[in-house]
Amino acid sequence: MIEFEHVRFSYGAREVLRDVSFSIDFQETVAILGGSGDGKTTILKLILGLLRPDFGRIRIDGEDISSKAEDDLREIRMKFSIVFQEGALFDSLNVKENVAFALREYRSLSEEEIDQKVRALLKRVDLEDAMELTPEELSGGMHRRVAIMRSLAAIEPKMFLYDEPTTGLDPVNADIICKLILDLSKEGRGLIIVTHKIFDAFKLAHRYIFLKEGTILFDGRREKLIDSSIPEIQIFLSELNLKPKGPSSIDSGEKYV
Amino acid sequence: MIGDLQEFYLLSWRGLLSLIRKPFYFKDMIEQMDYAGTGSFVIVLLVSLFIGMALSLQLSAELSGLGLKMYIGKIVGVSIIREIGPVMTALVFAGRVGSGMASELGSMILGHQVDTLRVFGVDPVKKLVTPRVLSSLIMLPALTIVGDAVSILGGYYIAVFVSLQSSTFYWSSIQGVLNVENVLSGSIKPFIFGYLIACISCYMGLSTKGGALGLRRATTRAVVASFIMIIVADFILTRILLYVLGFSV
Repeated sequence: MIEFEHVRFSYGAREVLRDVSFSIDFQETVAILGGSGDGKTTILKLILGLLRPDFGRIRIDGEDISSKAEDDLREIRMKFSIVFQEGALFDSLNVKENVAFALREYRSLSEEEIDQKVRALLKRVDLEDAMELTPEELSGGMHRRVAIMRSLAAIEPKMFLYDEPTTGLDPVNADIICKLILDLSKEGRGLIIVTHKIFDAFKLAHRYIFLKEGTILFDGRREKLIDSSIPEIQIFLSELNLKPKGPSSIDSGEKYV
Repeated sequence: MIGDLQEFYLLSWRGLLSLIRKPFYFKDMIEQMDYAGTGSFVIVLLVSLFIGMALSLQLSAELSGLGLKMYIGKIVGVSIIREIGPVMTALVFAGRVGSGMASELGSMILGHQVDTLRVFGVDPVKKLVTPRVLSSLIMLPALTIVGDAVSILGGYYIAVFVSLQSSTFYWSSIQGVLNVENVLSGSIKPFIFGYLIACISCYMGLSTKGGALGLRRATTRAVVASFIMIIVADFILTRILLYVLGFSV
C-alpha cells in the first residue's frame, strides 16, 4: 500500500503539493488528474523516492521512505514499474540495448539469454523488427511501447506507474498504448496513471484523484466524479461531452450523453 | 549559493572516488574518450597551429628591432609549453567538450533519463559523471601534448621561412626549453583543468531545470564557469609551480 500523510513539496519557492494525503492499494487502478504544474508527476517521483517531501510522510508497504538513503530505496523501487513521459529511452542505446539495460544491471544473464528475453518482450508489442533502431528513429507510439517493455524487463512489479503515457500520440497509437496498459494490469497488478486526458483515465482507472494547485479537489469513483459540481472537474469532463461546457452551452442545446 | 557549492564539491569528490569503486562502466568511458579526444583533435590542431604562428610572428616583429630574433625559438617554446598550450587547449576543450557534457546531461535530466537510471538502481554519478571525469583527465593532457607540438611547428614555420632564422638554432632553442621544470609545469595543468571542466560541466548539466531555456542557461553557465576557472586556476598553479620548481620571480 502507498500512503501519503500531509505531504508538502516545493520546487524552490514554488509549492507544488500542499498537505496531500491519500492511500492506494497495490491492486487499485488509479488516475491522477489535473492540469500542467498541479503536482501530478511529482507524486509519482515521491512514490519512488526520486524526490523527498519537505513535510509529511510517505509509506510504501508500511515502510517510511521519506528520509531513506538512495541505496536503501532500491528494494522499494523494485516494487514499481514506471514509464516516464515520452518514454525516457536512452538516446545513446538502440531499442535492444534499452530493453536489455535493466537486465544487465539487475541480473547476471548470458548474452544469449538477454537476447531471448528482449526478443520475447519486443514481440509482445510487435517491435521485434525494431531491435536495432535508435530511439530517434522510433515513432511516439513505438517509443512508449519500448519504454513499457523496458520497465518490465528485469522486475516483477507490484504496481505500474505511468506518467502521461498517451500524451502527444494520435488516437490510434493512444488506443494501442491503453490496450497494452490494460493487458498488463489484468495480471492482478494495479496502476497509477498520471494524465490530463479524462478519456484515457476512464478507460484505465476505477478511482480518480483530481489535483488543483497541489491540493486534492476530488478522490473517488467514476460516478461521483461525473456528478461532481467542482468547476475544474466539469471543464475536464467537457472533453467527454458528459456535461455541458458551461452555461452558454446549455442554451445552445448541447445534450448530456 | 552555499548549498550549490556543497553539491558541486560533493559531485566532484564522488566523481573522482568512483574511479576506484565498482561498478566500472568501461563502454561509457571509451565512448567519452572518443568524443572528447578524437572529436576535439582537429580543432586543437588548427587552433594550436595558428596560435604558434601568430606568437612567432609577433615575437619576430618585436625582437627584430632589438636584434634578438635568435630568441624566438626559446620564447615560443617556453610560453607554449608552460602557459599558452595548456590554457588554449583547455579553453577549446571547455568550449567543445564541456558544453557538450552539460547539454547532454541537461537533456537527460529534462527527458527523465537520469530518473530512469535511478529507478533501475544505477548511480548517475558513476554512470554519467565518472566516465566524463576520466575521459577529461586522460584526453586533455594528451591533446595538450599534441597542441604544444603543433604550436611549436607553427612557430618554426614563421621563424625559419618568414623571419629567416636558422632551422638548427630554432630546434636547439626548443630542445633547451624542454627541461624537466618546463615540461612538469606544462603537464600538471591539463590534469587540473580537465578535472575542473568535467566537474563543472557535469554539475551544471545535472542541475538543469526549466525546459529549453534552462538547458541553454546550464550550457552557457558550464562554459563561462569553466573558462573563468581555467584562467583563475592557471594563475594559482603558475604561482605554486614556479615556487615549487625553484624559479625566481
